[in-house]
Amino acid sequence: MSEAVVQIANVSKRFRIYHERNTTLKQSLVARRRGRYEEFWAVRDVSVDVPEGESLGIIGENGSGKSTLLKCVAGILVQDKGTISVRGRLASLLEVGAGFHPDFTGRENVYLNGAILGLPRRYIKSIMDEIVEFAELEQFIDNPVKTYSSGMYTRLGFAIAVNLDPDILVVDEVLAVGDEAFQRRCMERINTLRAEGRTLVFVSHALDSVRAVCDRCVWMDHGLARMTGGVDAVVAAYLAEVNRREEEELEVVESTEVDTSPGRLGVRITAVDLGGPGGSTSVLNTGDSLTISIAYESPEPLRGARFSVTFLRADGAPIITVPTDDLETGDTALPRQGVVRLSLPGVPFLEGFYRVTVEISEIATGQHYKRLERVRPFRVHSADHRESGMALLGHRWELPQVAARAARD
Amino acid sequence: MLGVGWTLLNPLIFMLVYSLVFGKFLKVHYPGGSATVFILSGLLTWTFFSQALIMATSSIVANGSLVRKVAFPWVLLSISSVIAALVNFAISLLLMIPFMFLAHKGVGLPVLAVPLLVAVTFALSLGLGLVLAAGNVYLRDLSYLVNLGTLIWFYITPVIYPLALVQTKFSGHGLEGDAAHAVIYINPMTWVVLGFQDVFVFNRWPQHWHGLGYSVVFSALSIWIGLRVFRRLRRRFAEEV
Repeated sequence: MSEAVVQIANVSKRFRIYHERNTTLKQSLVARRRGRYEEFWAVRDVSVDVPEGESLGIIGENGSGKSTLLKCVAGILVQDKGTISVRGRLASLLEVGAGFHPDFTGRENVYLNGAILGLPRRYIKSIMDEIVEFAELEQFIDNPVKTYSSGMYTRLGFAIAVNLDPDILVVDEVLAVGDEAFQRRCMERINTLRAEGRTLVFVSHALDSVRAVCDRCVWMDHGLARMTGGVDAVVAAYLAEVNRREEEELEVVESTEVDTSPGRLGVRITAVDLGGPGGSTSVLNTGDSLTISIAYESPEPLRGARFSVTFLRADGAPIITVPTDDLETGDTALPRQGVVRLSLPGVPFLEGFYRVTVEISEIATGQHYKRLERVRPFRVHSADHRESGMALLGHRWELPQVAARAARD
Repeated sequence: MLGVGWTLLNPLIFMLVYSLVFGKFLKVHYPGGSATVFILSGLLTWTFFSQALIMATSSIVANGSLVRKVAFPWVLLSISSVIAALVNFAISLLLMIPFMFLAHKGVGLPVLAVPLLVAVTFALSLGLGLVLAAGNVYLRDLSYLVNLGTLIWFYITPVIYPLALVQTKFSGHGLEGDAAHAVIYINPMTWVVLGFQDVFVFNRWPQHWHGLGYSVVFSALSIWIGLRVFRRLRRRFAEEV
């Protein structure tokens, strides 16, 4: 293994959280006590070596200390314990377009940014065309950046960063800018840098790009380096942990009952129950049978009522709404109290969280009697399925016969 | 172009006001005969110094977004604000030309002393500016105090009055006179301003070499202390700014 160009040894970083802050001379002279603060260790005893030419990813939840660690490596923050040694020229990009001056033109800002990152003017001049082309700003490069759209702004910032020529590039969560095509070119550019043997330290929430870019990965958890190793293993362990935590949260949510207060004309929904293959449940596998039971009560027999169930993704996007319209319940009077069931022979949803919205309404007027939004969350596992996305669709692949024969021969 | 215009207009207006009030109304006698040239030579120097100090003080806080996000020698922010003041000063020196013409004074070899005087002013404002810039990150009202401080400092520097005036007015006044003298003599800017007056009013080499030597030592010391303080306090800039 080649020598480490970035050595992070037992690094800890502490922040002060002030309760009473003396930010002025006046206050600190008048105040009897000195400013009181609590210490908060954002990074605790982290050690990682990054060999030359390696790409290290840092992942973790918000507030886990990954950006703090990165800022220490970049030299913006100074760690309170431990040492960080960096060999070679390091460029950091912690925010796209940090240090742009709004009144300067795009071209002037490229020079300014390059100067801030310690590059000679001659060199910037030599890569100017590349930057402009990469950012797709040929027409606008001589306009002040304050006239730029946010997309142009971020494209320029990123173009500068990836066209610089540092030995070590430290990047924080900046790949998530621009449109698809631009992002793809950024990834290509980063892969080129890797092929050239540059070292990369990369913080991101986008686990896919971490997997695509990094060789090794550190998982930060509450300031500690919880796991360090090959990128696939660490990302998998991290995802498993995230899922476990979500399930714990789900169990808490599950216990909350549905709102049983009466709606229009006193109609109430008294319970919404999910039934899987093994009885009442909140966790299913893709393909399992699912029954949703809606228990209702009404002062009068329900006439001309429509029931509907909408399945929603975790982010609230509706997947499908299933009403009872097809049953032609038109004049049928339902008893004052009863249970309506919707059965799915096989749940088509893939890995993720889902909820349902349940509604009883009047067919004639469309007005609801009672509507429960986003209740009964449930989790679907699809470990047995290779498909990814939201839901399973029936499908069949066909491979060309010729190729298959050729493979046999 | 308006920016350069202001650079010239500001000292010009103050020079006119001061020479009107002190020269015409209060009948202060300025050595060399011309109130305008005398006042202008000190005023330009002083404007350079105070502008550099005030701009340097806020240099880190004003560029907080940069300090939080980009790692580079932040000391450059303070240095560049002093350089900006120096550029303004160089431009404003153009003002001296017509007024020296009016006062029938030429410019000779003593002009060669100007770089030294500028260097001392530069070093002094940078040294103090570094301490104040670093301090301002932690104590935000420091910039107001600097504004106030430079105003007071202006009056204990012989810019709008000749040093001789203090010497005659306060001679033999015992403690009070000694105190007034001490304040002015300890002030390193006194000797720089006197040097400028020597060059531009009298077309002669700076006369107060001892005082100027003291100013050189003082400013070198201030740079040394300024860099040390800055280096120590910069550790938590990105968190506090």
